[in-house]
Amino acid sequence: MTAISYSAATMPAEDKAKPAARLTLKGQLDDMGLLWPWVEALVAEYAIPADKAFDIHLCLEEAISNVIRHGYGGEPSQTLTVDCASPEARHVVFTIEDQAPPFDPLTASLIEDQPASSPADYLRPGGRGILLLRKFAGTLAYERLPGGNRLTIGFVLPG
Amino acid sequence: MEMQLSTQDLDGGVTRVELDGRMDIAGAAAVDMKMNLIAGSAKKLLIDLEKITFLGSMGLRSIVLPARAVLGRGGKVVLFAPNEMVEGVLKASGIDTLLPIHHDLAAAMAALQ
Repeated sequence: MTAISYSAATMPAEDKAKPAARLTLKGQLDDMGLLWPWVEALVAEYAIPADKAFDIHLCLEEAISNVIRHGYGGEPSQTLTVDCASPEARHVVFTIEDQAPPFDPLTASLIEDQPASSPADYLRPGGRGILLLRKFAGTLAYERLPGGNRLTIGFVLPG
Repeated sequence: MEMQLSTQDLDGGVTRVELDGRMDIAGAAAVDMKMNLIAGSAKKLLIDLEKITFLGSMGLRSIVLPARAVLGRGGKVVLFAPNEMVEGVLKASGIDTLLPIHHDLAAAMAALQ
């Protein structure tokens, strides 16, 4: 056996830093910019196909932005966490925890029966974002925590 | 990648707006002002979504509000060539009932006349 040395360009893939299991965001929409790089790293880690990556990004963006805008009112001193786990093969589960007033996106009233042309639809809680969250999530579960909310969004990956 | 927006004048008074990138919250914010400016003068608007790789509810808003302004002045708006995933969001939101989706440019141009 000869010793093998790696240059930076030939480092084995397993030496790459794994994505963090937890993303912590402040209660400001500017922090949403951290979401896609994190999702992108998880997509690589779990070999998530593009269509499922789209659904994950969509559900997380809608759920998190809803907390920041409506739960926290854009107050940057508040924080929320998003955890990613893979409890079984080809399943990924995201858990969002916040300290906002109670809000259950599974039972919140929707405005989907109103005309799509109403501009207010896009600005209020329970608007189109929650509709998209419900339609594109694989599984969705809500739990009221003491002083906060926990939303669990699950996806089954092909293969 | 930052959202890109470019415009092109086509035959028959059609303005083509090509959006390129992720229409997430940051992407929507990046194009909002330009979209509103374009919507302030365009009468026939073709919104080209072919290079859009992501669309969330804030991105939808950045498309629908300018489109409404054009429709409100008696103009016409069509959406062109969204990928399958973006089209899924448009349809799930019911936006396609307000703004028709076309994948063929000739058909999109015909719908604007």
